[in-house]
Amino acid sequence: MANYLRYALRETLTNLWRNRMMTIAAVLTVAVSLSLVGSALLLRQSAAQASAQWQQGTRVTVWMSPSATSGEINTVRTQLNQLPIVKSCVFRSQYQDYLESKSVLPASEWTILKPVDVPSSFRCTPTVPTDAFTIQATFQHEPGVYTVTAPEQQIRQMNHTIRIVQVVFIVLAIVLMISATVLILNTIRMAIFSRRREVSVMKLVGATNWFIRVPYITEGFVQGLLGSAVAMGAVWALKTWYPLHNEFTIGNSAMWGTNIVVLLVGVVVGSVGSGIAIRRFLDV
Amino acid sequence: MIRFENVSKTYKNGTPALSHVSVNIEKGEFVFLVGASGSGKTTFLRLLLREETPDQGRILEAGRDIASLPKWRVPYLRRNIGCVFQDFRLLPNKTVYENVAFALEVIGRPASTVQNQVPQILELVGLGEKGGRLPNELSGGEQQRVAVARAFVNRPLILLADEPTGNLDPTNSETIMALLERINRTGTTVVMATHDQNLVNRMRRRVIELDHGEIVRDQVRGVYGVPEGVL
Repeated sequence: MANYLRYALRETLTNLWRNRMMTIAAVLTVAVSLSLVGSALLLRQSAAQASAQWQQGTRVTVWMSPSATSGEINTVRTQLNQLPIVKSCVFRSQYQDYLESKSVLPASEWTILKPVDVPSSFRCTPTVPTDAFTIQATFQHEPGVYTVTAPEQQIRQMNHTIRIVQVVFIVLAIVLMISATVLILNTIRMAIFSRRREVSVMKLVGATNWFIRVPYITEGFVQGLLGSAVAMGAVWALKTWYPLHNEFTIGNSAMWGTNIVVLLVGVVVGSVGSGIAIRRFLDV
Repeated sequence: MIRFENVSKTYKNGTPALSHVSVNIEKGEFVFLVGASGSGKTTFLRLLLREETPDQGRILEAGRDIASLPKWRVPYLRRNIGCVFQDFRLLPNKTVYENVAFALEVIGRPASTVQNQVPQILELVGLGEKGGRLPNELSGGEQQRVAVARAFVNRPLILLADEPTGNLDPTNSETIMALLERINRTGTTVVMATHDQNLVNRMRRRVIELDHGEIVRDQVRGVYGVPEGVL
């Protein structure tokens, strides 16, 4: 057994070196295709992440009419505080909103505005982003309430867009994974085809199929490993020098998750691919 | 040692390679298989190696029916059979020493046996000095001697040779034949397919002649063709 392990290891290393052009071709194939797969997976995750972040920023604003009594304001405040779907609420007085409107309105309009014309407001965060609509419906017709605004349209649109982006990336990743597998299998097959004579001699002197197969499988394993290492580097680089907006930031765990997928695909495709590719030359 | 019982083999394209061949070869015999190209000599050898299975009949080697051997046992069958071919079939990337050692490594012999046996057998075939060379650095005759060394290094019961002298000049052919005879004297059964009339005529060993897949002659101390005067 120890003999055989030594043989298999030596055979693997000499084969890798002797067929170094093929080795390089296989490693590059794995590296390039898995980099693309990894990037697609990572972008999909970042889209999901951004979607979650944007939704967390969802605000519902309950605007009180400027003429609302303090009793009406207090009733709304109590109700908002009691509702479990409301996570938190901040009250802004008429004067605070008057100051804020300065930044929204053109100077000519703002100068004729007085604080008593401006509505006071509750700025609320819903527990779950989609609860915004429920809050809106509940308070729309309360006494003293001028109107309730929720970024309904934007939320719906954003959810839709993000879903499309995610599906596109998943499909892309799957297609790339398939093409990567086929490319890797083909490269291994070519490498083994060029050595079919060697395999036939091995069969002739009475080598068992596993004896012949193992060095080829470890060879594929090493190629897959090297290729995925490069691809993992590419995924890491993408994470580090990410060119998109802040909200797309990718966490370390997302990167490592992607990299584990990349590594597994590389190693499994490499070794299983070799095992399959050599099968037809063993059947003598 | 080797026994064909009514063996027939037809290839997929319909050409019959062997039809109803029955023959018995004893342990330690030296047998020439002669006949024109396509007469079935190579099929005969391929069947012995279980590279092919017969359509009909039984082939017994050392008392065992090899056609019914499960696939995973085939490598073990081949470990008892040495093979030499016209085109040498050496591994071009391995040195002479490694080529011979390979036959032992494949069957799981310990390194000490390899280190002990390989130089010995290389000495026997007269290549003791050339163990470090690659096959393409050797002459055809030398390459065939490496092939013989590889075939014999694990002392097989049977040695099959398919036109081993087909690519060699007369002098080198002589050397190879001398080696095969020497191996035969150790008790190994040798079956050799050949076109070389002179060799067969001079050796005066058993000759089995095939024609269109049938045995047309089986002579104990034969010659290549039937002498003209006899007909």
